[in-house]
Amino acid sequence: MGLFDKLAGWLGLKKKEVNVLCLGLDNSGKTTIINQLKPSNAQAQDIVPTIGFSIEKFKTSSLSFTVFDMSGQGRYRNLWEHYYKEGQAIIFVIDSGDKLRMVVAKEELDTLLNHPDIKHRRIPILFFANKMDLRDALSSVKVSQLLCLENIKDKPWHICASDAVKGEGLQEGVDWLQEQIALSNQNDENMRPS
Amino acid sequence: MSSVPMEMKENTVASSKWLDAHYDPVANLYTFTSCIALADLHGDGENKLVVGDLGTGACNMKLKVYRGTGLLSENTLLDLPTGLVSFLMDKHEPRTPAIAVASGPFIYIYKNLRPYFKFTLPPLEVNALEQDVWSQAKEDMIDPMTLKEMLEGIRDKADIPLSVRSLRFLMLEPQDMEEFVNLHKQQPIRRQTVITCIGTLKKNMADEDAISCLVIGAESRDIYILDPEAFTILCKMSLPSIPTMMDVTGQFDVEFRITVACRSGNIYILRRDSPQPKYCIELSSHPVGLVRMGKNVVVGCAQETLQCYTQKGKKLWTTYLPAPVTTMAMMDLPTRGFQAVLVGLANCEVHVYRDKNLVSTIKTPDVVTSICFGRYGREDGTLIMTTKGGGLIVKILKRTAVFEEKDSVPGPPLAQSIRLNVPKKTKLYVDQTMRERENAIAMHRAFQMDLSRMRLAAARAYVKALESSQTPMSASLSEPLKMNAVVQGLGPSFKLTLNIQNTAACRPVMNLAISFLYDEALYSMRTAFFKIPLLVPGLNYPIDTFVECLTDKGISDVIKVFVLREGKSAPLLTAHINMPVSEGLALN
Ligand SMILES: Nc1nc2c(ncn2[C@@H]2O[C@H](COP(=O)(O)OP(=O)(O)OP(=O)(O)O)[C@@H](O)[C@H]2O)c(=O)[nH]1
Ligand SMILES: [Mg+2]
Repeated sequence: MGLFDKLAGWLGLKKKEVNVLCLGLDNSGKTTIINQLKPSNAQAQDIVPTIGFSIEKFKTSSLSFTVFDMSGQGRYRNLWEHYYKEGQAIIFVIDSGDKLRMVVAKEELDTLLNHPDIKHRRIPILFFANKMDLRDALSSVKVSQLLCLENIKDKPWHICASDAVKGEGLQEGVDWLQEQIALSNQNDENMRPS
Repeated sequence: MSSVPMEMKENTVASSKWLDAHYDPVANLYTFTSCIALADLHGDGENKLVVGDLGTGACNMKLKVYRGTGLLSENTLLDLPTGLVSFLMDKHEPRTPAIAVASGPFIYIYKNLRPYFKFTLPPLEVNALEQDVWSQAKEDMIDPMTLKEMLEGIRDKADIPLSVRSLRFLMLEPQDMEEFVNLHKQQPIRRQTVITCIGTLKKNMADEDAISCLVIGAESRDIYILDPEAFTILCKMSLPSIPTMMDVTGQFDVEFRITVACRSGNIYILRRDSPQPKYCIELSSHPVGLVRMGKNVVVGCAQETLQCYTQKGKKLWTTYLPAPVTTMAMMDLPTRGFQAVLVGLANCEVHVYRDKNLVSTIKTPDVVTSICFGRYGREDGTLIMTTKGGGLIVKILKRTAVFEEKDSVPGPPLAQSIRLNVPKKTKLYVDQTMRERENAIAMHRAFQMDLSRMRLAAARAYVKALESSQTPMSASLSEPLKMNAVVQGLGPSFKLTLNIQNTAACRPVMNLAISFLYDEALYSMRTAFFKIPLLVPGLNYPIDTFVECLTDKGISDVIKVFVLREGKSAPLLTAHINMPVSEGLALN
C-alpha cells in the first residue's frame, strides 16, 4: 500500500475492499442478515429465497464489503465452490431452530473446509447461530458442539448467536470479522519485503 | 485396505450415503407404512410427519404430528387406524392438506389438525331371513333358544352372512341370552364392513397441488372412490378377494389405474372403464409390500423374494432377499430423477433396490415396521423409519450421494454373463470328438490300466524307501525325527548343516549318532561320525560339519547321511546330499 492509500484509508476516503462469501443452508437467514447490515435506506422490505446468488455491498468503519449471498437450496449448493478462490472471509449462517438439519449443515461445512481452495488458507470464518429468538433454538455453544467447530485449528473462527430480523448479534460478528481482516493485512504487510 | 472385512466396507460405503439426522429409540411410535405420511400441514413450506399411532394393544391410539425432531401435536383416535393419507380436498386458500384416517368403517377427516368430518361406509345388505327372525323376537313370538336355533340355520346356509349382532348373540351362554335380546331387539339390524386400505387419486388435474379423491378398499371386497368435497361415493368396484394394499395412479376424470394386492395372494388391476379387474397377477406367496415403479409393480412376497411384474401381469424379475420383508416403500427423488424401492427386512436392514439391483443397505438398530421417504422439514431426501420397539429414525440422503448402477449383491460377476467369442470348430476338433465318442470304452480302459500301473510303481518305490530308511522322515514310532540338510559355500570347502528335529509331542530322544558315507577320492571330512546330544521335542538342532572337495576336475558326487541308533545297524533316517561342483580353487 502506498503512503497515499494509507493516508486515504486513515482519513476514511478510500476503504479497503473485502470479498465475503455468505454460506449456509436455505432458510437459515443469510439474505436477512446481509440486508440488516446494509444502510437502512438500501434495505429490502421483503426477503424471498435467493435463486443462484446475489451480490450485495456494505461498509463498516474501515472496510468495504462485497458479499456473495449464495442460495442455500440443495440444487444451488454446488455453485458455492466456484467462488471460494475470490473469498477473503466466510460468513456461515446456521438456523439454530432446525435441529434436524444440523447434520446437513455440518456436512456442507466439512465439505467446504476440505475443499482445495479453502483447506490450506487462513481464511477467517464467522458463524451466525441465527434465529436465536425461536422458542426451541439451540444455544450458540450447542451449535458449535454439533458442528464440531473446536476441530477447526488452522483458521480463525468465531460464533455469535443472532436474530437477523431484529438485527441482534450481527454487529459483534462483523466487528470480529473486521478485526481479523485488519490483522491479516498487517501480517501481509509485515511479510512483504520492502 | 485388504484387511478390512468385506461386510464392514460395504456398511461404511452404504452409511456414507446417509446422514443420521435423528434417532429416538423411545419415541413410543407404533405404526405401519400405511399409517404414515409427510405433508405441508401449515402451508409454510416445511413438511410435517403425520403418524397414525396404533399404540400398545387397544389403547393409546393417537394421531401424532412431528416437526423436525420434536412432537408438535397429538389427537386421540377412537379406534385402531388402518390407513392414513394426506390430500387436498378443496381449492380454498391457504392450500393446506387435510388428513384422512381410516379406522373401522369410518374415515375421520382432519383439517388444521382439528376433526372436520366423519365418513361412514354404506351399510351392507342384511339377510331378509335374519331380519324376519329378529322381528319375531321383537314381538316376543319366539324365545331366545328358538332364536338361536333359527339363526344357526341361517348362518350355515345363507349367501348373505349374519350381522355382527347375531354372531355375538350366538356366542353367548344361555343365561345371558334373554338380557341381550331385550337390550338389542328394538334397534334395526345393520351389517357393517371395515376399511382395509386407503389411497388418494387426483380428481382431474395432474398437478402437485390438485384436489384428490379418496380411494378405499373394504373387507366386503369393494373399492370405493369418494368425492373430495361432498364425500359421496363416485364409483364402486368389486374384487374377487379382500384388498389389503393398494396403489393408485392417474386422474379420476381422465384415466386411472388401481393396483390392489389381495388377501388371496393375487394382485388385481382395475381401470376407469372396467368395474371388474382388468388383469390379475397370481403370486406364488402372499404379498407383504407393494410399490409401483413407473408402469411396473414391485411386490415383496412372504417367501423372502422381491418380484416385479408389468401392468399386464407378466413377470420381469425375481430377487431373493436375506430375510422376510417387514414393509416396503417407494423412494422417489424427482430432482435427481432417481426412483428406487425401499425394503425393510426382519434382519434389521433396509435395502434399496433399483430394478433388481441392491444399491444400498442401511443397518438399523431394530426391525423397521414403517418406512416413508420424501420431503421432511425442508429436506427433500429424507428417510423416516419407525421400529418394532417404537423408535423413530430419520436419515437424510447426502447431496453428493451417488448410487452405483452396478449390483452390490455378492454373486456371479458381471463378466460371467458376457458372451465369449468362441472360434468355430475345426476339422481336427470334430475328428477327435468323433474318435473319442467311438472308442470311449477302449480309451477309458487304457487310461485305467496306466493309472493302476503308475500307482503300483509309486507304491513299490515307497516300500523300497521305507525298507532302506531312505526317507528324511523317520517312520519309526519310538524315534519320530525329521532332518534336512543344507550345503553352503562355493568350494572347495563346503559347510554342511543338518537340521534335526524331534517331532514327538513330549518324549526326548537320546543315544543317536550320525555317520556320513562318501567317495574318499573326491571328498574329505574332518569328522565323518559323531554323536547327537539329547533331542528335546519340537526344537531344531543345527549340526555343522565341513567337507573338503579334493578334485579340481569339476565333478561332484552324493554324500549320504545316516542317522543311527546306538546298537542298531539299520539307519533311522537317510539323506542323500547332492554336492554342488566346486567352483573355487584350492589355495595350496
Ligand atoms: N425468527 C427468525 N426468523 C428469521 C431470522 N432470520 C431470518 N428469518 C426468517 O427466515 C426466513 C428465511 O430467510 P432468508 O434470509 O431468506 O434465508 P436464506 O438463508 O437467504 O435462504 P436462501 O436464500 O434460500 O438460501 C425468512 O422468512 C426470514 O424472515 C431470525 O433471526 N429469526
Ligand atoms: Mg437468501
